[in-house]
This record gives sequence, structure tokens and C-alpha cells, in this order.
Amino acid sequence: MTFKLPAIDYLALAPMLVLFGAACAGVLVDALVPREWRYHVQVPLSLVALLASGGFVVALANRKEHVVTAGSAVVIDGPGLFLQGSIVVLGIVALFLVAERRLEPGGAFVAQAAVVAGSEADRKQMRKPGVTEVYPMMLFALAGMMLFCSANDLLTMFVALEVFSLPLYLLCALARRRRLLSQEAAVKYFLLGAFASAFFLYGVAMIYGYAGKVDFRGINEAVLGSSNSKTLLLIGLAMLAIGLLFKVAAVPFHVWTPDVYQGAPTPITAFMAACTKVAAFGGLLRVLYVAFERSSWDFRPTLGVIAAATMIVGAVLAVTQTDIKRLLAYSSVANAGYLLTGTLSMNRDGLKYTMFYLVAYGFTVLAAFAIVMLVRDSDGEATHLARWAGLGRRSPVFASLFTFLMLAFAGIPLTSGFTAKFGVFAAAVGGNMTWLVIIGVLSSMILAFPYLRVVVLMWLSVPGDDTPTVSVPGAFTAAALFVGVAMTLVLGVAPNQALELVNDAGAFLR
Amino acid sequence: MDPSYYIVLSAALFTIGAVGVLIRRNAIVVFMCIELMLNAANLALITFSRMNGSLDGQIMAFFVMVVAAAEVVIGLAIIMSIFRTRRSASVDDANLLKY
Amino acid sequence: MSLSPYVPIVGLFALAAAFALFSVAAAPLTGPRRYNRAKLDAYECGIEPTPQAAGGGKFPVKFYLTAMLFIVFDIEIIFLYPWAVSFNALGLFGFVEMVLFIGTVFVAYAYVWRRGGLDWD
Repeated sequence: MTFKLPAIDYLALAPMLVLFGAACAGVLVDALVPREWRYHVQVPLSLVALLASGGFVVALANRKEHVVTAGSAVVIDGPGLFLQGSIVVLGIVALFLVAERRLEPGGAFVAQAAVVAGSEADRKQMRKPGVTEVYPMMLFALAGMMLFCSANDLLTMFVALEVFSLPLYLLCALARRRRLLSQEAAVKYFLLGAFASAFFLYGVAMIYGYAGKVDFRGINEAVLGSSNSKTLLLIGLAMLAIGLLFKVAAVPFHVWTPDVYQGAPTPITAFMAACTKVAAFGGLLRVLYVAFERSSWDFRPTLGVIAAATMIVGAVLAVTQTDIKRLLAYSSVANAGYLLTGTLSMNRDGLKYTMFYLVAYGFTVLAAFAIVMLVRDSDGEATHLARWAGLGRRSPVFASLFTFLMLAFAGIPLTSGFTAKFGVFAAAVGGNMTWLVIIGVLSSMILAFPYLRVVVLMWLSVPGDDTPTVSVPGAFTAAALFVGVAMTLVLGVAPNQALELVNDAGAFLR
Repeated sequence: MDPSYYIVLSAALFTIGAVGVLIRRNAIVVFMCIELMLNAANLALITFSRMNGSLDGQIMAFFVMVVAAAEVVIGLAIIMSIFRTRRSASVDDANLLKY
Repeated sequence: MSLSPYVPIVGLFALAAAFALFSVAAAPLTGPRRYNRAKLDAYECGIEPTPQAAGGGKFPVKFYLTAMLFIVFDIEIIFLYPWAVSFNALGLFGFVEMVLFIGTVFVAYAYVWRRGGLDWD
């Protein structure tokens, strides 16, 4: 018996291999380096790994050679590289937020997660430095997200899905303050996430039964010429969609979003809002555009209804929120609806502008959560909206920045939000989904209301005695905030360069 | 024996698991039901592997088993940490987060 | 476009829903109800359950930690077995890959060992 060993293009895999390697090294650092040195080793290690990974992505993009490698498990193509690059860049900004230790002694993470919350030992560890395992876990999650965007078969996709989900479940449980909320968020996220990935897996099994293969090209060919019952294909596709729509937080699979966004430590919420969104939509785009393009008549009406429901429900529920993190969570649900609208246009523009939207939204949401981290009182972050009243007079600079970000979320011209929304809606009109665009515009109008309410609250109220202060950010948070706000402005005023980049990315390789 | 019976069995197991997730209240039992769903998928993969005459499905089952084990460990760690504080593993008791 | 492939799906959904409802509804109706003390126990064998865990409600984490570590390291053998069976055919490439794989497992082992996961007391 002889095997044909799979050819492996190591350069093509380098962006992911670097991150996986650095994550393993990070675990060793946590095992071998003395406690007080860990933070000072982990942060540079993660940063260097991410920069190296980004460098490899750029090198691969310049090579302009699109390959299917590792026994057709991984495909490196234009859109895949663009998404990988976005994940790395957004990941670096999120890493800045995670590494911040100036705002709170020891950082946003608990010192020892195994200590029972609320016990005597828990009070003692309140001022100790936070766990450093978060850095390797973040690297594992980022590498998994990159693999998810460039997987070429459903099995690799499933494994990548778990590789980026499992660290996220744990990261959610590690908040320093309000530990019970944080643990509860992790339990909810974990149980619902595992439920959704079980659906995804059963979908994979059904598709395997239909096509006899799980690689995207094989599925695409089977959709055209398989003699098997089409029922298997449709059930499989529906179950795959449930798994993916859970990750993108589409209605009715969005129920976890507000709870998890509120309970998780704020840097991790920012990380999930920016990077998980990119990865989940990257995977969804590839599955729909490469494997099931020929079934688009079957899924477009159903997914269209889901996109419409996501936009409306997200916008309406955002209006009723009284907590800034929950408000941003429902706004993220509504934004998933706009992204789905772009995805469902099923044309070149749809792919292009969905990818642009992901990057634009990622930067804005990272900056918004960076400001949420800054508004604090003696009890940690003050996230209740009533506490934000009069913040404009306390700290005009940060209130102005937050106002700008809210306007970007609302899609006001000269911000990235406008360019991105305009792009996906135009693409959807081009793809004969005009009804979805009408709902999208209506939902944007509803969604503008909660954003503007926050703005009015900050500027037109008088600060009370219990209005929290806006802390002076440390270097890390300041950098993240600067990058987020600057990119929101640049992508709104001069989006041409970024649009050229998504244009050059071309189409998915089949 | 007709292998399609195994598909029916797998579908039944998957349904039992999914219903269990929705109606059971103990986080550990909910979690066991999710494992049942994953194993139902494994059974389907192996049966299709036999029906299609390719080994891919069996290899996939290996990967699923490893992923499921990793998931067990993560899940137990999270459930255990919340249980030690609350002394309860009921998902109904986890009600601090709501609007 | 014909709707025929959707008909079995609708049928399947109906069947699945009916099956789920039937099993949930039928279980309390058809099951024999012969309650006695043993039946109402949390477990029908072994030691008496107590409202609070022994030792004043302190939960001995070490058993569960050991079980958890066992699951993780035990499952890795699933990849070793097929590799061992076709060792000759896979040759040096397979060997190097397996060494790398075991290396990553070893990283996890080093972490557990150094951080006291293997200490019983």
C-alpha cells in the first residue's frame, strides 16, 4: 500500500503557522517564566507574532499566486488573504485593549480564575495582576479565525470553528469585576455555541451524504450532477447555515449576543465584535459563494427573510436598551443584517462591499468599546446609560470622539459607516434584492435613534454627583482608540485605497 | 443489512439530543445532550462513508471525537467554576443577565 | 423550478416535530409509576446522596481535574493508532508530523505540570 502524501506550501500557511507556534510558545512561557515576568514576555511575543503573521499575509498578497494546499484543506486566494489581513490588523488593535493595565490595577482580567467568586481569597486577589493565559488564547483564537476564512473543505472549517470558539468561551469567563456575570455569560455562550456547532456538524454529515465529498469544489460539482436526493443537500445546507448564522449573530440565533457582550470583559467583547464577525462572515461568504452558488435559488429567499428579521429586530431592541454594552450588542446584531444583505446579493460587488463593511465596522466598534473601557467609577466600568448623562461637560474630548463613532454607526456621510452601508445596499440592488434594501434603510433609520439618544444624553444633560469620570487612557488604549477613530474617518473620507484593495482581492478560488 | 437504517437511527439520536437541550434544566445534562448530537453526526458520517464507499467519513469521525473531547473539558471547566459559586448547575438559576 | 425536493423536507420537519412532541408527551403517560424510596433517590445505587457535599460543602476539585486531564491526553491516541498501523507507508514525513503533534501535546503537559495540575494535595 502506498500513500500519496499531500504537498504542503509552507509559505502559504505561514501566517497561521506563525500564530499557532507563538500560541504554543506562549503556553510554555506561562509554564516556565516566573509570575511577575509573564506579562512582560507575553505581550511583546503576541505583538511580534501578529506583526510577523501580517507580514506574511502581505508577502503572499504580493506574490499574487493563488494556491490550494495541504491536501486541498486550505485555499489561499485574494478574498481569503484580505480577510486574514483584516483579522490580523483588528487583532492587533484588540490586543492593545487586552494588554491595557493602567486603567485598573492588574488589567481587566481576574488574577486566578479558579478562585471561587466572592470568597475571601477572591477579595485578596482583587489587586493582583491578571492572568496572562489570555494572550496565548487570543493567538489561538486569531489563528483559528484565519483558518476558518481560508478553509477549503467543511471538515477543516468545523475544526477551525472550534479552534476559535473554545478560547473565546474561556476568555468570556475571565472578567476581574462582576465575576458571576462573566461566568454566566461564558456558560450561556458555551452551551448555545456548542448547540450551534452540533447543527453545523450534522449539516456537514448530510452534505457528505449528498456529495460524497466535503471539499467546496466537490460540493459545487455535485450540486450540478449528483444523482442523490436533493433533500439531503437542502437539509445539510440549512443546518450548516444555522451553525454559521449563530456565529454572525443573526436573528433568531442572536439571543446569546447581548448577554455575552455584557458579561464578558470589555476588551474581549471588542475582540468578539470585531474579529469574530470578520471570521464568521468570511466563512459564510466562502460557503455560499464557492460551494453552494448553484443553489442560490434555494437559500436566497430564506436567508433574505433572516437578514430582514435581523435588521429589524436588532434595531428595534437597540432602542429599548439602558446599558451601553447591550446597546452595542443589539447594534452588532443589526449590523449582521446589513452584512447579510451584502452577502446575499451574490455578485462581485456583494463580496467586495461586505468585506469592506467588515473592516470598517471592526475599527469603529473597537474604538467604541475602548471608550466604554474608559468611563469608570470606583466600582469599575459605568455601563448604565443613565450614568453617561452629562459626560460631554466632564470630558468633551472623549464625548466628541464617542459622538463621532455613534454617527459612524448611524451611517452619516464622511464616516466609514456611510461608505460601507451605501456599498452593501448598492450591491444588493444590483443583485435583485431591492426589497431587502428597503427594509435595510428603514432599519437604519430606527437604529439611528438609540445612537443619537446617547449623544443627546452626553451633551444636553447636566452632570450629577455620580457621573463617572473618564480615565486617562494608558498608551495601549490610546493607541487602539486612535487607530479605530482614524480608520473610521479615513475609510469615510478617502475610501478609494481600501476599495482598491478589496477590488484587487478578486473572487474566491474554486 | 440496509445501511440507511443507521441514518434513521442517527436522525433519531440527533432529535433526542436537540429536544434534550431545549427542555432539560441541568447544565451538565444539557451538555450531555449536545454530546449526543455530535455522536449522532458521527454515526451519520460513518454510515455515509460506507454508502459512498470512501474512507473520508471515518477520518472525519476521528476529528470530531477529538474536538468533542476538547469541548467537554472547556465546558466542564466553565460549568464547574459557576457551580462552585452558586451551588447549582440549573440553567434557570443563571439569570443575572437580562434586560 | 419544481418544489418537489421541498416536500420531503416539510414531511421530515413534521415527522421530527411529531417525534419530539410524542416522546416528551408519551413518556409520563406510558411509563409505569411505581415510586418507592429507592426510585426517588438521585441514583439507584451507591452511597446516600446528601444535600451538601461532604467536608462542609467544599468541593474536591482534584478528582474532576484529574478526569479532565485524562480525557484530553487520552483522546490524542486516536491519531496515534491509524498512524502506527500505516507507519511503514507514511515513512519519514509521517514520523516528523507525529513528532510535531506529540510536541504540541507535550507543551500542554508542561503547562499542567508546572502549574501544579498534577499535584494531588
